Amino acid sequence: MKKNRKTFGTLFAASALLLTTLAGCSGGKSVEDVASPGSNSSSGGKGDKVTITYYTIDSEDRTFVEKLIPDFEKEHPNIKVKMEKAPYEQFDSKLQTLIAGNKSPDITSHYGYGGFAEYYNKGMLMDLTDLMQETGFKAEDYNIPEHLMDIYKVKDHTYGIPLNMYVTLMMYNKDMFDAAKLSYPPSDYEDKSWTFDKMVEDAKKMTVHSDDITKTQYGVDFTWSERDMRPLYFGADPYSADTWTNGGVPSETHFDSPEVIAAYHKFFDLIFKDKVSPNTEWSKSVAGQNGDPFVAGKIGMSVGGSWIMAGSNDFPFKVGVAAVPWGGNDKVRSPLFVDPLLILKDSKHPKEAMEFIKFLLTTEVQEKSIELSGGNPPVNTKAAETYYKHFEGVDPEDVKKVYEGAVKYGYESFNHLIVHYSQINDMFINELQPVETGHKTLEEVMGTIQKKVTEIIKR
Amino acid sequence: MSSIPSLSTRPPSSRPRRKVGPVKIISLLTLIVTTFLMLLPLFFMVMTSLKSKKEMLKFPPTFLPESWQWSNYTEIFDTLQFGTLYKNSLIIAVLSVIGTLISSALVAYGFARYKGKGNKIWFMLLLSTMMLPYPAIMIPQFILFSKMNWIDTFLPLIVPAFFGSAYNIFLLRQFFTTLPEEMFDAGRIDGCGELRMWRQIALPLSGPALATVAIFAFIYSWNDLLTPVLYLSSSDKFTLPVGMASLTSSRFRIPPWHLLMVASVLAMLPIVTLFAVAQKQFVEGIVLTGIK
Repeated sequence: MKKNRKTFGTLFAASALLLTTLAGCSGGKSVEDVASPGSNSSSGGKGDKVTITYYTIDSEDRTFVEKLIPDFEKEHPNIKVKMEKAPYEQFDSKLQTLIAGNKSPDITSHYGYGGFAEYYNKGMLMDLTDLMQETGFKAEDYNIPEHLMDIYKVKDHTYGIPLNMYVTLMMYNKDMFDAAKLSYPPSDYEDKSWTFDKMVEDAKKMTVHSDDITKTQYGVDFTWSERDMRPLYFGADPYSADTWTNGGVPSETHFDSPEVIAAYHKFFDLIFKDKVSPNTEWSKSVAGQNGDPFVAGKIGMSVGGSWIMAGSNDFPFKVGVAAVPWGGNDKVRSPLFVDPLLILKDSKHPKEAMEFIKFLLTTEVQEKSIELSGGNPPVNTKAAETYYKHFEGVDPEDVKKVYEGAVKYGYESFNHLIVHYSQINDMFINELQPVETGHKTLEEVMGTIQKKVTEIIKR
Repeated sequence: MSSIPSLSTRPPSSRPRRKVGPVKIISLLTLIVTTFLMLLPLFFMVMTSLKSKKEMLKFPPTFLPESWQWSNYTEIFDTLQFGTLYKNSLIIAVLSVIGTLISSALVAYGFARYKGKGNKIWFMLLLSTMMLPYPAIMIPQFILFSKMNWIDTFLPLIVPAFFGSAYNIFLLRQFFTTLPEEMFDAGRIDGCGELRMWRQIALPLSGPALATVAIFAFIYSWNDLLTPVLYLSSSDKFTLPVGMASLTSSRFRIPPWHLLMVASVLAMLPIVTLFAVAQKQFVEGIVLTGIK
């Protein structure tokens, strides 16, 4: 009994002591942090130091910015940059909580599940139009093409400034092309011979069906953007034109129209009719839940986001990059994934935040960022020249042609532009799953999809 | 005296022989197969932790590493601040366990021993808090701790444990109700106060239940990801799950699965150790409280 009493007492005393110590560690605000709201939206008087918070994903290709901060702080002694980070899955939850708790970061991007349109429609973003003028920001000074600046404009007001630009491209397995004695696909978007049908023809020659899963291989994996955007590849637009000018709220959608259904049929024909593409079960069994079967060397051509190039040095086979083939839409062939820097509405130091954004967009910093991030594509066209040369074993000339063509025939990915997109995307994955497994026809599900999209948008 | 000859005269064949019937063989075989199946993912995890980055991309995946990369176990310390993450997780988990044990045992004792008016309603109210999902209280709690200036400290992760947890209170209450009333009566006659009875009668008799609660509290705190993500901003305060999540956070890179498996193997060690130490008490606790 006595022993128990002693143990209990010791435990209690130890925990109380530790808690007191930890409470001590919490401390008060540092002098630098006390740049009181309201008084510091300007650069502040001499000696006033303000702290801005940059909120990002906790992964090496995002947190590298921390290494750039000392240079910025040297140039701007009155501004201190603090980095706040969260894992991808918890990015949105933390952002919402920080804003609700009056601890809003100053700068971030739509790195989580929610896209730009979601942030805009929740009223989280600051209108940067006047701020850009006030601070003398001009896109051309940072070699940002004007049409990329238009992506994050709503009714002529700018809400986001592009930082990185991933495009959609085709990556191909040179070993599989060589084995099938096929010539490599072109990287030039103006090459008229490079069509969807030609791609299917090549894919058939590389496809091997076998009962032995280790011998099975497919010619093409055509994951062109998210599911709702795919009809656009064949020229069918499922969202009304006003979506792109009013902040991502479509007045009408056409998912049950014959054109859209016909476009989806062409995609599913790759799996069920031509049998040149894998179904989702096969892909998951080869590459895991979120993996890419191309990386396992079992796919001849893979159409997808250009981020796949970042791992190309580790692939156990030779790779090349090519243009997305022409599929019937003369204007759009490559969905773009342009990540903007956004200043949040509750930012207490927008001017200082703008200075940091400008710093991140300079040619020198954009070039540095490619190496530090392990291959993030810069939006600054001058720095892009360095990016094209970044990938071992891939011809820089091809990367350049593919990027330039993608920008010419590009359209910003819908996941950034449409409201409630994470819900729309989840619904698409669920509703199209029976079609992907061959249990239902497109005609059976598209009516439901149309109804559900309409409901989600109205929320 | 008489026992010696009786022992020596016992024929060797009289030793009871265990009969191994078919039922026993089948159950043993089932146990062996199930154990093998249960251990397979663990084995795969350890093997993956010893593979190279390139080998991870191979299909079909290799069962044993082609070349054993023991250096992965040192590389994790370069990739993540693994020592710091480990230390932070341990501090938080140990203090949470202490907090949970003290607070939950005290409240559970109250619910078990006092039959006052509205006792049941209070208990139901307490249990109903288990139905509140964390996201529902996430923001109000953040605002509260933010006003207390506790953001970016361990306090929001530890202090709530000192205010009880409905599940553990329920578990301990069930155990305390089984303790014989007579012992407390005897204590009362000897002049024991209520708090002393809790400390000197109830707690010493509740070893198995307390061990169960300790393990549950430790695992909960050790695995918690969302709370540390919300409250901690400085990298040197991050916990293990936060650090490990960063390895798979990039949508644009192939995750270093081999390093993630190294981290998982190392992260598993305290839980396995804790379970091994408290196993006897833990199993007894589950049997006695009827909780699985």
